[in-house]
Amino acid sequence: MNAPPKLLAISSPGGHWIQLTRLCERLEDRYSIIYAMPNTLFNSAATLGGRKVYSITDVSADDKWRLIPCTLQVLYILLKERPQAILSTGAAPGAVAVWLGKLLRIRTIWVDSIANVRQISRAGRLAQKQADVFLTQWEHLSDGQSVLFKGAVL
Amino acid sequence: MIFVAVGTQFPFDRLISYVDAWVGQNHEQGVAQIAGGEYLPQHLRWERFMPATTFNQHLQAAELIISHAGMGNIITALENHTPIIVMNRQHALGEHRNDHQLDGLEWMGKLPGVYTASTQDELYALLDRRHELQAASAAPDSRRQALADFIDQAIRT
Repeated sequence: MNAPPKLLAISSPGGHWIQLTRLCERLEDRYSIIYAMPNTLFNSAATLGGRKVYSITDVSADDKWRLIPCTLQVLYILLKERPQAILSTGAAPGAVAVWLGKLLRIRTIWVDSIANVRQISRAGRLAQKQADVFLTQWEHLSDGQSVLFKGAVL
Repeated sequence: MIFVAVGTQFPFDRLISYVDAWVGQNHEQGVAQIAGGEYLPQHLRWERFMPATTFNQHLQAAELIISHAGMGNIITALENHTPIIVMNRQHALGEHRNDHQLDGLEWMGKLPGVYTASTQDELYALLDRRHELQAASAAPDSRRQALADFIDQAIRT
């Protein structure tokens, strides 16, 4: 029997991470999932639930210089783990992963956070052209082609 | 016990001070997670940040959760079957980078077990009828499964 395909799941901490892990719970029987998230003081084994989580440098719209370490770390994870696909719920670290995934020809899937009701998130707009599959969790934000609605975490 | 949590990214002094004053007036017990806030509660027990195990203990002990309008706490409250009141951060007051928490308030209020307030009056009105607030019975599931199944399919094609 073949080993399950590897999936890299990557997001910011907080709500993005909660949404990501709730989706990954439904995929864990079908994939070998590797996680990456900016590490904070408040993450303990309990939050991570025994998952293998790479710690990366956090980056946001307010501190663009951190893009460099973050990009290098995500690149290292991708080269080392060679996942078949990347899944992200945002924000900026996910956009970094999607850009690198495009470069390395790894399939990328973006799920825009359900918190973005009125418009696609800023990080989402940065990832949109690069992502192979771009999903919103709001039907009214879908155009049925480049932005799809296929369900939501709630 | 009331548990107030504002996430880890930004402070939310307005919410903490409203709840602190209410708890003082009503002789209730509460715990607050205040992040980098400048306002230090007089009546609530508080910590800036807490490890996930402590956070979860407070969450499980709480009869009511009060939070900024962030998805993490909303999903966690739903999963714990505890009613949650959320108040949106305001961009104009420097409480967040944009107003997406305000944009989300309307639909959040339609989720079972989630109550929304955008002002102190609305928050206090909800707190005054706190014993009537209902928790969600079960987290909605079919939309989540549909999304996970589509992601699975999208990876394989």
